[in-house]
Parts: sequence; structure tokens; C-alpha cells
Amino acid sequence: MKKHIFIYIFIATLIVSCNNYLDVNTDPNRPTSVTPELMLPVAQNYTARWMKTDRRVNHLGNMIMYNWSESAGFSWYNDEFQYLANSTTFYDELFDDAYADALKQYSLIASQDPATLGVYVASANIMMAYTYQILVDLYGDIPYSDALQRGTNPTPAYDDAEDVYAGLLVQLTDAITMLEDAEANELTVYPSDDDTIFGGDTEAWKQFANSIKLRILTRANGVMSSTDVSSELAAIVTQGSGYISADVMVNPGYINEDDKQNPQWEDFGEDSGGSETLSGQATCATDYIINLLQNTNDTRIDYIYEIPLSGSHNGVPQGITSSADAGQGPDDVSNIGPGVMAGYDMGATIFTVAENYFNQAELALNGFGGDPQTLYESGVQASFTSLGAGSATAYYGQSIDNVGYAFSSDKLEAIITQKWLAVNGITAEQSWFDLSRTGFPSGLPVSLEKSGLVRPVRLSYPASEVGTNAVNVPTSPNAFSSTIFWAN
Amino acid sequence: MKRILLLSMVFSFVFALSSFAQRTVSGKVTDETGEGLPGVNVVIKGTTTGVTSDLDGNYQISVPDDNTVLVYSSVGMATQEVSVGARSAIDLSMALDTKMLQEVVVTGYGIERAANEVTYQTDRVDSDLLMQGQQQVAGAGLVGKVAGMQVNVQNNGVNPQTQILLRGNRSITSNNEAMIVIDGSVATVGAFNDLNPSDIQSINVLKGANAGALYGSRASNGAVIISTKQGQYGQDFAIGVNTSVTFETVAYLPDFQTKHGIGWDGGYNAIENTNWGPRFDGVVRRVGPDFPDGYILEDQMLAYAPIEDNLRDFFETGKTVQNTVYFSGGDETGKFFMSVGNVSTDGIVPQDTYERNTLRVNASKKMGKLEFGINSTYFTDETNVVGDDIGDQDRPLYWFILNTQSNIPLSSYKDWDNPASYAHADNYYNAYYQNPYWAIGTNRDTDKTNRLVGNVYGSYEINDKLILSSRLGINRLAGTGKNWRDGQEYNEDLQPAHTTVSSFLEDSEFQSVEVNGNVLLSGNYDLSSDFSITPIVGASFIDYEYRDSEIIAVNLSIPGFYDISNGTGELGGTVDQSRKRTYGFFADVTLGYQGWAFLNLAGRQDYTSTLPEDDNSYFYPAASVSVILSDAIPSIASGNLLSFAKVTLSNATVYNDLGTFALNERFFQPDYFPYGGVNGFEQTATAVDESISKEKLNTWEGGLNLGFLNDRFSLDASLYRTKITELITSVTPSVASGSEAFLTNIGKLMSTGLELTVSGNVLKLRDFSWDANVNYSSSETIVRKIKDDLKEVALDDYGTYGTYAIVGEAFPQLKATSYVRDDQGRVVVDASTGDPLIGTVDAHGKTTPDYIIGATNKFSYKGISLSATVDYRTGHIYFSQGSNSMEFTGKSKESVSANRQDFVFPNSSYDQGDGTFVENNSVTISNGVMGFWQNVWNDIKENYVKDATAFKVREVALSYTLPSSVTAKTGFLKSATVGFVGRNIFTKLPEQNRFSDPEFRNTRSTDDENGIGIGGYLQSPPTRSFGFSLNVEF
Repeated sequence: MKKHIFIYIFIATLIVSCNNYLDVNTDPNRPTSVTPELMLPVAQNYTARWMKTDRRVNHLGNMIMYNWSESAGFSWYNDEFQYLANSTTFYDELFDDAYADALKQYSLIASQDPATLGVYVASANIMMAYTYQILVDLYGDIPYSDALQRGTNPTPAYDDAEDVYAGLLVQLTDAITMLEDAEANELTVYPSDDDTIFGGDTEAWKQFANSIKLRILTRANGVMSSTDVSSELAAIVTQGSGYISADVMVNPGYINEDDKQNPQWEDFGEDSGGSETLSGQATCATDYIINLLQNTNDTRIDYIYEIPLSGSHNGVPQGITSSADAGQGPDDVSNIGPGVMAGYDMGATIFTVAENYFNQAELALNGFGGDPQTLYESGVQASFTSLGAGSATAYYGQSIDNVGYAFSSDKLEAIITQKWLAVNGITAEQSWFDLSRTGFPSGLPVSLEKSGLVRPVRLSYPASEVGTNAVNVPTSPNAFSSTIFWAN
Repeated sequence: MKRILLLSMVFSFVFALSSFAQRTVSGKVTDETGEGLPGVNVVIKGTTTGVTSDLDGNYQISVPDDNTVLVYSSVGMATQEVSVGARSAIDLSMALDTKMLQEVVVTGYGIERAANEVTYQTDRVDSDLLMQGQQQVAGAGLVGKVAGMQVNVQNNGVNPQTQILLRGNRSITSNNEAMIVIDGSVATVGAFNDLNPSDIQSINVLKGANAGALYGSRASNGAVIISTKQGQYGQDFAIGVNTSVTFETVAYLPDFQTKHGIGWDGGYNAIENTNWGPRFDGVVRRVGPDFPDGYILEDQMLAYAPIEDNLRDFFETGKTVQNTVYFSGGDETGKFFMSVGNVSTDGIVPQDTYERNTLRVNASKKMGKLEFGINSTYFTDETNVVGDDIGDQDRPLYWFILNTQSNIPLSSYKDWDNPASYAHADNYYNAYYQNPYWAIGTNRDTDKTNRLVGNVYGSYEINDKLILSSRLGINRLAGTGKNWRDGQEYNEDLQPAHTTVSSFLEDSEFQSVEVNGNVLLSGNYDLSSDFSITPIVGASFIDYEYRDSEIIAVNLSIPGFYDISNGTGELGGTVDQSRKRTYGFFADVTLGYQGWAFLNLAGRQDYTSTLPEDDNSYFYPAASVSVILSDAIPSIASGNLLSFAKVTLSNATVYNDLGTFALNERFFQPDYFPYGGVNGFEQTATAVDESISKEKLNTWEGGLNLGFLNDRFSLDASLYRTKITELITSVTPSVASGSEAFLTNIGKLMSTGLELTVSGNVLKLRDFSWDANVNYSSSETIVRKIKDDLKEVALDDYGTYGTYAIVGEAFPQLKATSYVRDDQGRVVVDASTGDPLIGTVDAHGKTTPDYIIGATNKFSYKGISLSATVDYRTGHIYFSQGSNSMEFTGKSKESVSANRQDFVFPNSSYDQGDGTFVENNSVTISNGVMGFWQNVWNDIKENYVKDATAFKVREVALSYTLPSSVTAKTGFLKSATVGFVGRNIFTKLPEQNRFSDPEFRNTRSTDDENGIGIGGYLQSPPTRSFGFSLNVEF
């Protein structure tokens, strides 16, 4: 009998130890859960990269808006010069990276408990709204309400573009409310350095939310009824935080290390060893923009574009494919300038205060209140200021069309043209959306590889969606004629 | 000094084992024709003491007394017993065994079974056949030799890697490779590749899932059971030497155009990497930078004309020297085999070198009812090859070679270190891609590894029917590596398009340990005169642990000094670890009836660490029967034709578990973090199904083994069907789901296949003999269901092309952007530009072959033997990524097919504007000089979908063995063979496939499990080898 007991004990020990034996499925190198202060900087860093790195959002805007061209000896921008916007692989990273990187991470933060993490949740929602609006402006209908559910919904449905816009306004309003609730809540955990945009300043977040709302309203005005626009604007006023007063920048503390520099500098500036990057050498001003800046006595020229070794600015028409044109090599032409890209440690601007003034000016011009000229001139000055170009008074005091407000024949064209100049190199995609919507700035050339003034008005859905979400992705709209809803 | 010490240890061990008995019997064993029979076991009855006859059939054995009975046995021969009496010489003629297939099959855990008893289909490759081609890696020696086995030699560097698939691909995204067992212990493909091939005695292949019952999940793709050489009890001490020298040369390079050279858009350009220049005209022109006056060099002037083999001349003749010395022997109770091997290789890429040393010790000892032993091999190697992240674009070496135009004398740029040479970085002609010789000199990837694979085992004969045995094995790999790139600055005037190449050093360490063990109780009972029962119960475990760490330093301060202290700025680094444990209990019972009918029932309960705790174990059963028809119904084999017949039928179920740590979604630190005090973690790109669980494979297999003409010929056939359900698969979801991969259980796959092997002696004329083995295998996996109404999932998606699993189609399917075709199949072009329209991403076919045929023929005449192994695969396609990537440069033959003119696209039509199509006779394509090829042709990826059919002469061997009369005279030589070998001496690919070997995979690393169907430019070109071998035994 005793013997049996020992056997039972032995077997029991064996089973117990076997259970422990298999308890080795924990990854020692990757945690299964982390706190939001470790998630937030990753998400914001991805936003900066999505906006500013090589062949991402800002880059596309600069190519289509004729701001940037190609130095001789490079075969860098063939696709851009041909406007291959009907291709499913043309700038498809804009769609892919938005969802796979930033939105994925924001969505995770947005799912945290607002009882204590309201500031995190709200700021994540504001950044999601920021990202989704640009996606709508690039693609039209996009996955929104069904998106970001990972394994729960591997093939999300597409939402109507206009519905997404409406949803974003609600999302932003809710986020502002959540921030107000959080401020009143003693348990609230505030971000600090981990909020690499506002350092946990809830008022700044509310202002940013209002500025995104303003961007939405400016663009949707006309499709949205003026009553709706008025009431949304009234709500912003009632809320009381106002708009952003400085450029919105991501800066986690960029340092001179590979992968850790300002993302635009990393691709178009110098690597950590101090040598100029290939993309930086390949990218330069167009002849048109150089002439325009010079003809309007715009002192921003030396900040938006770098002065070549020769001492005088030099631009290249888009679409010259010959590989050895004398006088147009990387050192002969105006590359991206020091106001746009000051160094590896500069913050990455994702929203300019200048644009916010121009958005206000446009709505003021359309009768929603405010003085358009003051707002316009504030916008121009904000652009000069952020580039480091000093006072703009002399510039906008000139009697030149689309420079001096009072002198300009078409006030809307003046506002949009100045916005285009203000976001050049920084958030240039905004000027593309304006062009598709308003037709301004007028007279912008197209690439020599294209005949006729036909420029894409949108992007095609990416190859990845065609391959993996075929049941939902809309049939490819024509990128040259199928405008986004706000341009209809 | 170390070597001498080692050798003296070896010898002292040998002498300790040697012993001398009372008297000697010798003689010669011959077959029915009088030819000496090698390899006959001569054993003293009632003992395990015995010897083996030599190549000429001679043997010599010590016997205790006149009452001794000797048992003579050999595979395929009828066993005979002879009483010694007073004789000291016994010559014996042996007859063919009518039950030729009564050979021994090594199954699980080193258990040997008579072939008749095995109730499922197996195959076997012996040492001679394996070593036929003197391959450096054993896996490569299996190609074409086993029905149902597909061995892919996936690269051809100095240390080639192989992938071994049995019965095709069954898993969509996880490992499809067969399980490797070495000397009864579970091992890995890496351990197999690291074996000295000449240490291998035989390889048994268990093709089906039946092996799973004994070995668990890992054997669900079949098992390759490797037995290394053992000494023989009672064998005299023998020393042997195997030596071979082989020379490797490039077999073929991509077939490029040689009509147009350096230039862009139809014009000559002296510094391009592209081939869009004018037609070759022989005029002498400047190539490379325009040097200023007074520069150390004049401009380089070259005739604008193609240079034959200019790329091929870059590659050198590689050389591999292999040496193995072995010692074996034994007495009545002990036996051993030891070997020391060395391989030294110089690759076809200049300065690529590889050195390998192996040491093997196998020994065992009997002490009454106890037997114990050790099998072990220690391996070290050292690799020094060109790095993979070359230049300011981080490209592999081959890319730089391919980006050299046909008018450039590539091999004249060797002197890269000399500033007054055209080969120097500042003076090199190509403005975009660096000199490959410079790449070799400034980018090195070196590593050193060592591996110990071995086991110790013991068995105890409880009684004459019951044996208890246990085995503990280890497979430990450890190594270090350094991979560096030197910096390079450029003169901005001479090389304006180059940016500084930054320097880096990656210092890595890696180690893995797998410990495995088992304990078995096996019996063998006769229940009655008719019935026998062979039961086995046992338990086994595997404990695997892996760790890999890497430190990266950048922008090195001191040129040529490769230590992390030499880096500037922050050090980068990663550590990656993995751990998995499994254990299981199993029982296996074989019931035999009259020696001709067998029923096997087996079951296994497995426990794994990688599944959720409440669902981490599973039971799976297997059942099978075999009937020796020719014994059951002797009348069917009574005629002259059929001499043997056996049928088998089996069903087995196996479950597969998840990958290590895959159960939980994990966070990781992205490359960008930390920024000083701000750290960050990112959610993994792979979403994991919350209800993910094990996958199930169920296989039915029917087999037929026939012997003809007194078993001179054999036919082995098997037919199988595997149903895989709840497959664990990483599918590609919409990126809008916030994940880039989704790990889930999907649907249903059905694999079916047929394998046929015909082998035998075709011709026998006194001294001449022709033996042949032809094997055929076909297998196909159809996707029956994926998930819900999901019709397809992407496996390896590149946007405009990729591999997919598609419901109702064979798996995997290759998809690519296609032409738009009208209802008559004509290519639809744009009515105004004449350019073909770029259509949707469509499926073009499967990437696995319809069938593979392998054949080995061996002709022998006296001591001369000529053998050859060929294989042929067809019915599959692959994506030639190399051709796709090179199109931009204007190297393709297609790009000159219309002389760089605009042309009417053949067999095309266009839309008349009303949805009807009219034949296009007049509208030509646009920009035929360059733009069409770069932007239209290159965007229709269908152009790069190629027939992957290949016929290869894998191995040819000619050898001569000295007659025993000659060796005997020497007094010390037992045998000597000299040989000539050729490997991959001939390859025939379809004409459309101009780029490379479709077998090569599109990845630089060997991490990617299933590199199927996408062939890249990352590997060096295919090679062929010739060499000599010498095998001597004393």
C-alpha cells in the first residue's frame, strides 16, 4: 500500500513538473503589453515619417505641385514625371504605411481606458482624424469605421468619403470633450516627453483639433451646406480654445544617428556621417518656381531652396530625362533649402500655422466672418517667420497679383497661391488638394513627359488592397478625372 | 600539435579494442556467376561476432573452435549457415534470395525492421550512391535519388544550403521540410548539412506521416533517417582515406543582348549603368569620367563593341578539396568508427573561402545484457565571403556584375586599390554602381561556427523478448560572425552621382541547443506458431533553445579595424531568443501472421509549449497493414515473371503546433527608438487569431512492392492523399485592418500524389553489368477552402506579382499583372499610343512541378564503373525577378527584339470606342528606344513569368577499383578506388528562361522558410563542377 502511495506521488510530481516544464512560451525579447507612454511616441514618429520621408505625402505634393524636380544624372523621378497615378504601385506606401504604422498604433492608444488615460485617448483620436482626412483627400472612399480591427476584420469595408469627413468632425469634437473631462479628473495621467508634439499640453491638443476641423470645413465647404459649416464654426468659437498659434511639429529629440534624425533630413539632408544623401542630391527646384519667386521679389527663395555653388538659383523643368545635362548637376541646381530643412534636430512640421490663417481667410472670404485680408497677411507672415525669413510686410505690400491682397484680382486665387508657397516643401500635399478643388494656383506647368495640362486629382487604390481586399476595394477610379467629393 | 595528439589518442583507442582469438577461417564468398560478393556479413552463430567480406568477397574471421557455425548473410542473398569443422578455408557461393526485399529498414529511434514488416512506404540511399558525386553537403547527394523527395539546392555559395521536401508542400507558410533524424536522435537540416557526407552509411526515407506517430509533429512532413557508419563486431582494424578535388566553374550566365551598350535613351553616355546606347559600331569612345587635364590618368578609351564573356571572366575557377581519414574496427563486444575530415573551398567569386573540419566518434560496447554507445560528431567551419550590403544602395555583389555593359572589360578592373587605375573608386566608369572588385575588397562577411551533434544510448535485454533502451541526444551550434563594410569617399567632380559609402561593422554571436531524449520498451513475442506481436511503448522529449545577438557599429574611425570600439555614435544591437519544449508518450504494436501479414497500430499523445495551456496536448492515431501476397498466395509468384508482391495500406493523423511565442501578439522596439530618454514600443505587424489552435493532417497511403524475374527488378509504387485541415497560416489581410499578417487556421487543403520507382539489373553479361533506378513522383495540393467566403490569400505579395493560395486551384499560384486580352485572345493596346494596356493581377499557374523524374544508371565492367544521376522537373512556373529587375537597364534580349524601334505589338487589337475590338495593324508602340521597355513592358509582370522546367545531369561518376589480386599483393592495401566526378555538368532550360536556375531562391538569407516560385538575382550564377576522387582502405 505504501508503495502505491509513492507511485501516486511520483506520478503527481511528474504531471505537475511537466506542466511547469511547458511554461516556456514567453518571449524574453518582446513584451506582450506596454503602457501608452511607450506607444505614443512611436505613433507620432510614424506620422512624421509618413509625412516627411522620401516618396511620402509631402514629397508627392511637391512633385505634383511643380515645386521639386530632378538634378541631371539621376533617374529618380520617372514615375512622378509621367504622373503614373493610375498605377496601383504609384505612392502606394501612402495608403499602406498610414494604416500599418501610425493608425495601427494610434488605434491601440485610443482603445485604452479613458478613465485615467483620457489625454492619451483623445490625442490619439485627434491624430487619427488628422491622418484619415489626408487619406480621404488622396483616395476618396477609404476603410474607416471597419478599419484597424486587425484579426477581427481582416478585410474591412470602405466608407463613403463624405461620411468619413462627417465622422472625423464628430471624432474631433468627442476628443475635445474627453480632454476637458480629463482636465477635470484628478486621476488623469498626463503625457510629458512621450507626447513628442505638445508635451502633454491639453490646450494645445484642443487647438490642434480645432485647426483640423477648420481644414475639414474649408475643404468641404460647398458640399457641406453653409448652415452646417456655420454651426461647426460656431461650435469651435463656443468651445473657446481657438486655433494653433505655432507650426505643429513632431520632435522626440532628433539626434545625429541613423534612423534618429529629423525624417526629412535623414532622406534629403545628410546621413549621420555627414555625407549628402542621394535623394537630397537628386531633388531640386523647378525653373518655374524659381522664376516665380524671383519675379515676385520673394525673399523666402533662399530658405525654401538652397543657393547653388554658383551663387544664383537654378531650377530644372520636370521631365528632362537625359542623364548628362551640363549645368544641372546636383551642385549646380537649387536643392531643398535651409528654411524647410534646417538640420537633423529640427522638428518635423506636420501642420503649418500659415495654412491655418489661409483656411480662416478663405472662409472669411466666403462670408463666415473675419477679415480676409488680415488673415491672409498673417498667413504670409507666419510662413516667413517659420522659414526664418523675417518680416513679410514689404513682400505682401507689393502691387503684384496674388502677392498684395488688395491688388489681387481674384482674392481666392491669392489665398490659395500664397498657401501653396507657404507649404512648399513642408506640407505640400495641401496645395495639391487645393488645386484639385479650386484650380489655383493657375498656370502651373506640367511635366514635359505629359502633354496638355492634365494632372492627377487623386491616387489609385494600392496594389495591396487590390490583392488582399478585392471584395471591398472600389473599382479603380480614374486618377485624372475622378475627383474627390469636395471638388465636385 | 593538436592533430598529432588527436591521432595518438585515436591509435591508442584502436589498440585497446583489438584482441586476438584462437584460430582463423578465411575464404571467398561469390555469387552464382562466380563474382566476388562484397559486404557479406559472416557471423559466428549465437553471437554478434562477425566480419564483412571485402570488395572482392574475401573474408577472414577468428573462430573459437571446430563446432562453430558461421552465418553468411547479405542484402538480397539467401542466408546460409556453414559448420566450420576442421576447415580453415571456406569458399561459398551464395544464391539470390527470392525474398530480396527482406532488407532492413531503419525506422524510428534506430529501430531496425525487416522490410516485410514495414507497413508503409520507405526508400533508402546507401553510402555509395550518396557519395557518387563527391558532394560537399549530403543533402545535395540525394537529388534525383528518391521518389517523392524534392531537394532544392537554394544557393551555390561556398557553403550551399539545401531544402528537403517530401511529397511537396503541405503547409502554406510554415516549415515544409522533412524531419531529420541522425543515429536515432532528432536533429535538424543544419546538422545534416554539417555532417561529413562520407561518414554516412545509409539514409532511410519515411515518406508519409506515419513517422509522426513515433516522432511527433516534426515528422508530419516525413522523416529522413540518417545512419552514420559504425564499426562491426569482430571486424579487423581498418584505416581508410577518402580524398577528392573538384573544380567549379560558372555553368551559364543570364542570356543578355549584345547589340546595344552603354547609354541612355538611344544616346551614348560614358558613365551609365544602363544599355540604352546606340547600336554597337566599334568606334573608340571615352568610357567613364572625363578626367581633367593633368590628371594621373588619361580618359579611358574603348571600342564600342561587345566583349565576349566579359561577365563570365569575372568569376574564377573554384576549388574544393575534401579529405577524410577514418578508422574502424571491433572485437566480439565492442566496435567503433572514427573519422577526421576536412573540406577546403575557394569559391567562384574571388576571395570567397570556406573551411570545414569534422571529427566523428561512434563506438559501442556490449557487457552481457547491457549495450551502450555513443555517436558523435564535432564540426567547425569558417566562412569568408563578400558582404551583401554593398555600396550606397546596399546591393548584393551579383547586382554590380549584372550592371556592367557588354562593352566593358570587367576583368580589367581588378586593381581597385590603386588610385592611378581605372578600377579605383574615383576613376571607375560606372557612375551609379561600384566596381565589383572594389566590393570584394571592402565588404566581407565572415563567420565561424562549431556544432556538436551526438547521442549516448544504452539498452538492456530484460529477457530474450524484451529490451529497454534509452537515448539522450544533443545538437549544439555556436558561432560568431563579423560583417563589415569599409567607407568610401568620392571625388565630387569625377563621381558626382555617388554619395559617400558609410562604413559599418556587425558583430554577431549565435547559439542553439537542442536536447532530446527517449526511452523505449520494445518486445518481440510469438503468440502462437502463427501469430507474433511486436509492441513498443515509449516516451520522448525535445528541448530547444536559441539565442542570436548582434551589435552594430557605424562610421568607423580607423579604416581596416573591425571592432565595435571603432564605431562612432550610438551602438545598435539586438538579441533574439527562442525556446520550445515538447514531450510525448507513444505506443506502437505490430501483429504478424505467419510472416506475411502485418497489422500495425500506433498512437501518440503530444504536449507542446507553444499552444495555449488548456489546449496544448493532442492524441493522434495511425493504423496500417501489409500483406506479402507472394507468401500468402505462393501460386501468384510461381511463374517466371513475378517473384515477390507486397501491398500496404495505412492511415495516419498528425497534428502540428504553432511556432515559438507565436501565440501572443508582442510589442517590439522600432529601429528609431530610443531618442535619448524617450523610448517606444510598437505593436507587432502580425495579428494572431484569438482562437488559433493546432492543425491536422490526415494521410491515406497505399503501396505496392513487386519483384520480377527472381527479384532482379523491383517496382515500388505508392499513392497517397493527405487532407490538411485547420492549417496554421499567416495570411495577408488588408493593411487597413492595422496588421500586415494574420496568423490563423484556415480551410482545407488536399494533397494527392503518386510515386513510382523501378529499379534493377538491366543487363548482366559476365563482367558487365547495367543497373538502373528510375523514380517518378507527382504531387499536387489543391486548396479546397480558405475561410468563410475568402477566395484567396496572398503568401508572398510584391504588389504587382506574388504567390497566392486560391480556392479550387493548385497551390501555390503565381499571380502577376497581365496583358488585357480581347475575346479572341489578342493583346489589347491603347488606340492612340499603341502600348499594351496594363491589366489586373491574374493567376498564371502553379509554382510546384507536375512531376519530377530522377534516374540513376550505373554501368560496371570489372573494376570500372560509370554512373550518372539526372533529374527532370516540369509543369511549374516561376517569377524571374532577376529579369524583372534588370529590364530597367536595357540588358534584356526582348529590348532589342525590335531593334529599339517603335513597332506594332504582335497579335494586338484596340477598342474602336464602342467596346468592339479591331485588329491592330498600324498603331505602333511609343518610345521603343527606351521608355516602352522601362515603363510598359516592365509593368506587365506577366512578361517575367517563366516556365520552370529543368533537366539536369546532376552527377556523373567514373571510377576504377583495383582488383583484389593487386591490392592483396601489396600486403597492406585492402581496397583502392580512383574516380572522376562531374556535377551539374549539363542543364537544359526552356528558351524563354534566360536568367538563372529556377531552383534558386529569392532571398539572401536562409531564414525564409518557403522560398518558392520567386527566383531572384541575389545568388551567384549556376555552376558546374568536375573533379577527382581517391578512396583507399588499409
